[in-house]
Amino acid sequence: MWKYIGKRILMFIPTIIIISFVIFFIMQLPEGDYVSSYIARMQAEGEVFTEEDIASLRAQYGLDKNWVARYFDWVIKIVTKGDFGYSFAYGRPVWSVIMERLWLTIAVSLTIMVFTYLVSIPIGIYSALHQYSVGDYVFTAIGFLGMATPNFLLAIILMYFSFKWTGDPLLGLFSTEMLQEGLHWYNFGEFLQRMVIPTIVIGTAGTCGVIRTVRAQMLDEQAKQYALTARAKGVSERTIVYKYCLRAALNPVASGLAGSLSSIFSGSTISAIVMNLSIQGPVLYEALKTQDTYLAGTILMTQAVLVVIGTLLSDILLAWLDPRIRFEKKRS
Amino acid sequence: MSEKIEKSSQQDLILDVRDLKINIELDEGTLTAVRGVNFSIRKGETLGLVGESGCGKSLTSKAILGINDKKCKTTGEIIFDTNDHGMMNLLDLKPKGKEIREVRGKQISMVFQEPMVAFSPLYTIGNQINECTRLHITKDKKKSKEISLEMMKKVGIANAEKRYDQYPHEFSGGMLQRALIAMALVCNPKLLIADEPTTALDVTIQAQILELMKELQKDLNMAILFITHDLGTVAAMCDRVAVMYLGKIVEIAPVKDIYANPMHPYTQGLIGSVHKIGTKNQERLFSIEGTVPLALNLPPGCGFYDRCHKRIEGVCNVKEPELTEMSDGHMVACHACAGGCKGCSQGVQTTENRKGEEEDV
Amino acid sequence: MSISTLFQHKKKKKSDEDYYLASQWTLMGRKLMHHKLAKFSIILLVFLYAMALFAPFVAPYGLDDYDSNYKNSAPTKIHWKDEDGKFVGPYVYKMTYVNNRQTFKREWAEDTSEKFFVKFFAEGREYKLFGFIPCSRHLFEVEGENGGEGAKIMLFGADSLGNDLFSRILFGSQISLTIPFAGTAISFVLGIILGGISGYFGGLVDTIIQRIIEVLTALPTIPLWMALSAAIPADIPVPRMYLYITVIISFISWTGLARTVRGKFISLRNEEFVMAAQVAGVSTWKIMTKHLVPGFMSYLIVNLTLGIPSMIIGETSMSFLGLGMRAPATSWGVLLKETQDITSIAQYPWRLIPLIAVVVTVLAFNFLGDGLRDAADPYK
Repeated sequence: MWKYIGKRILMFIPTIIIISFVIFFIMQLPEGDYVSSYIARMQAEGEVFTEEDIASLRAQYGLDKNWVARYFDWVIKIVTKGDFGYSFAYGRPVWSVIMERLWLTIAVSLTIMVFTYLVSIPIGIYSALHQYSVGDYVFTAIGFLGMATPNFLLAIILMYFSFKWTGDPLLGLFSTEMLQEGLHWYNFGEFLQRMVIPTIVIGTAGTCGVIRTVRAQMLDEQAKQYALTARAKGVSERTIVYKYCLRAALNPVASGLAGSLSSIFSGSTISAIVMNLSIQGPVLYEALKTQDTYLAGTILMTQAVLVVIGTLLSDILLAWLDPRIRFEKKRS
Repeated sequence: MSEKIEKSSQQDLILDVRDLKINIELDEGTLTAVRGVNFSIRKGETLGLVGESGCGKSLTSKAILGINDKKCKTTGEIIFDTNDHGMMNLLDLKPKGKEIREVRGKQISMVFQEPMVAFSPLYTIGNQINECTRLHITKDKKKSKEISLEMMKKVGIANAEKRYDQYPHEFSGGMLQRALIAMALVCNPKLLIADEPTTALDVTIQAQILELMKELQKDLNMAILFITHDLGTVAAMCDRVAVMYLGKIVEIAPVKDIYANPMHPYTQGLIGSVHKIGTKNQERLFSIEGTVPLALNLPPGCGFYDRCHKRIEGVCNVKEPELTEMSDGHMVACHACAGGCKGCSQGVQTTENRKGEEEDV
Repeated sequence: MSISTLFQHKKKKKSDEDYYLASQWTLMGRKLMHHKLAKFSIILLVFLYAMALFAPFVAPYGLDDYDSNYKNSAPTKIHWKDEDGKFVGPYVYKMTYVNNRQTFKREWAEDTSEKFFVKFFAEGREYKLFGFIPCSRHLFEVEGENGGEGAKIMLFGADSLGNDLFSRILFGSQISLTIPFAGTAISFVLGIILGGISGYFGGLVDTIIQRIIEVLTALPTIPLWMALSAAIPADIPVPRMYLYITVIISFISWTGLARTVRGKFISLRNEEFVMAAQVAGVSTWKIMTKHLVPGFMSYLIVNLTLGIPSMIIGETSMSFLGLGMRAPATSWGVLLKETQDITSIAQYPWRLIPLIAVVVTVLAFNFLGDGLRDAADPYK
């Protein structure tokens, strides 16, 4: 098992290298660079630049080389110094900009993930055990609606109702007072309250997806021969459901772990822009718009690396859950 | 006369299935999969239930344990001699209730067709066998493991202590079937239902498993309901044979009778289609024409009518034949055979004539 | 009586035979028609696509026909009876507004001095049906009793410029409903070719393609889309914008398809019928196209249908952020852009109507996909 984990970690290195290259390639696709978009903005405000100014700005930001050279510079600096580059817009190293929001991003994502699984697995089981009951239909309908509604619009609708009923659209994760006083135990409750809408908004699509997976899997597993064998030896329905079917049904859920992390990042990006959450999404959006290459690239990198770590975790979890996979790994 | 026999043997009857009907609700309508089945099993006896796939033999066997799908509506009576309550109709019990679960695994247990899928892949073999022991015999962990291990040894699993902690995918098919038998027998059931226990296995292993089952039957003095479509294994295993066709028993007889003197044209066809060692090569195997019709909106009359070479128009397609006793313990449901041995000997002749004709061509 | 039963018997046999002889596609179609939600979804989708096709005919106004008097107008109310309660057919009143000094809101009221009747199949603005048939008839128009000017019929209200939202939704559907198809087509081709190569040849090619797929799936979809669409120059003509967006959207979805195709190829490659074909000297290309791909075509179609919803949502999301389709192009996402702040929803709730269009379409494709999946499953 440990050998397998070690092997998987080693396999990540090439993956991450390719990811970084692909990201950097995408980042340089837009015409122009940070300097040209910066100058365009400044010129619109009436500033005048000479050719020399522009060239020196480029040299200052290291934008005078071609992108492959810049890529290698970037990677070498990351590996040797842990330096992810310089954010033009913020005027400081990328890593410090990212760290400001990284933990909150991870915390929010994990909260949403926990919410997703805590809500969806019981509902999925309920739906499967009461197939075609009223409850099943209601959950299925909600599930479909949740998957069909783009989550940023769900955000707007929920914020609208929150505004209408409480007079506060609950924008952002922190209130103005909280920003001034910092996060303490006494305002932690308020923070949680502010987490409600983002969690629902970002988590809904994933939750609905997992409900459908669990339901379908449970129905599949219950129809399998081993459930019949268990029934034939006098095992109670409860044991059949929880000891046998549920464990088997959780395998695809576990293997979807990385995917759900990725979809949380996806969902949170837009929703965070709409709801003004202080996580990475809005920063990424701004960085992409202003061609703040290193910042945008590093944010995408961290997300991709987190997803890759998620993949590893879900593989390990799967191996732990399913002896067949465990033994295959042992042999190879 | 038949009533007399029934009464005299009533004493040692362990299972008595009366007028068992199973309807399956489908979108297209109600499919009558089992259309009134009657049979009984005595203590220590092996009854073979033979028929093509889809004739309802598996449904019948699962109905005894009450483990059919919810869609299956079962009516009739399944009288079983329970340990605690005496004769009892198992169909009266709630299918998920405690009483029937006390019967399942402990008094009646079942061995399934495909051992590869009969175990959950996620738990060790030991865990799954032991579950049965702990449910029905003792809650004591150490004791129950001992009992389970002993049974594993008994069914011929070498190195049982090690194998106890292995997973199903580490077992071969034959070993899994042994484990499945161990799981079925670990509580000394009075009746074992074996649903085609050897079809998924290699021929050599088939023989081993059958031999094992026979041995254990003697040891434990249990009755076996042996379900198969293979007449060869029937001859080796069973005391009596019931032949099922389209949800009905068409012939039931002691095993020797059925081979020596098959009466129902379907049975004759079945036996004719088995290749016998020692017969001349040029003889062609007999095959029954056509396919089993779908048991949905069946026309009146005998279900075998379309495929039967002895059909009597105006009789067989009008009225469904009933099981009638022809000789001692030999019952058949066929209009053409009714009226004693006259019909059946004719039947044998027809088959022979037919073979002759084919040879001529 | 025996004749009639015999007849029935024959008839039944005939239908049985039909069943056994029917092709896989006929069977799938038949099963699909039994799936009520899927059937309903097909009807709905056909309706939506027909509306998109005939958008210039159905829409009473064009994309440039804004009326500053109708800025942010509420949906026009349609009246059927006159003041005396007599049925006179559908008509509307001209909408007028007063600016409320306290709230700075426009307050809408009907100017009941003149009735404007709704006329069906009336002459109106000229357009080209399907892009080449010149036409000037519209499904409905409003005209005053005295041919008066100024009244508009805006079933879903107007946007901030005074454009008819109903018309814009129709024109928007031309983009929003076709992008998933174009995207699906691209990812279909990419998926089959790359997945097929990967699965059939294996080895180094397989490793490389698998790595690329792994990388693409590790990147969260929306951020990646955002990054890619940030590369689209701001002021390019609409058709090219459309092309870029389609390519970006299909950029992700082909990976899942390629994986599926690869898996199927690997399992089928070892099937005996493929070996038989190889032994018989059939070319690789022919084995792939004639024997392997049809074997899981139904499966692919199900996958593709189930992939459409995420494409629709993707396009909507990107356009909503201003990274996808941009004005002057109109898509549902572009229309929803106006709902970005809650105050606008509070004041003009009808701006959320395009959302209904999105949700309904996504649901319909989901149900259709589900129905197809059930229908394609031979064991159901």
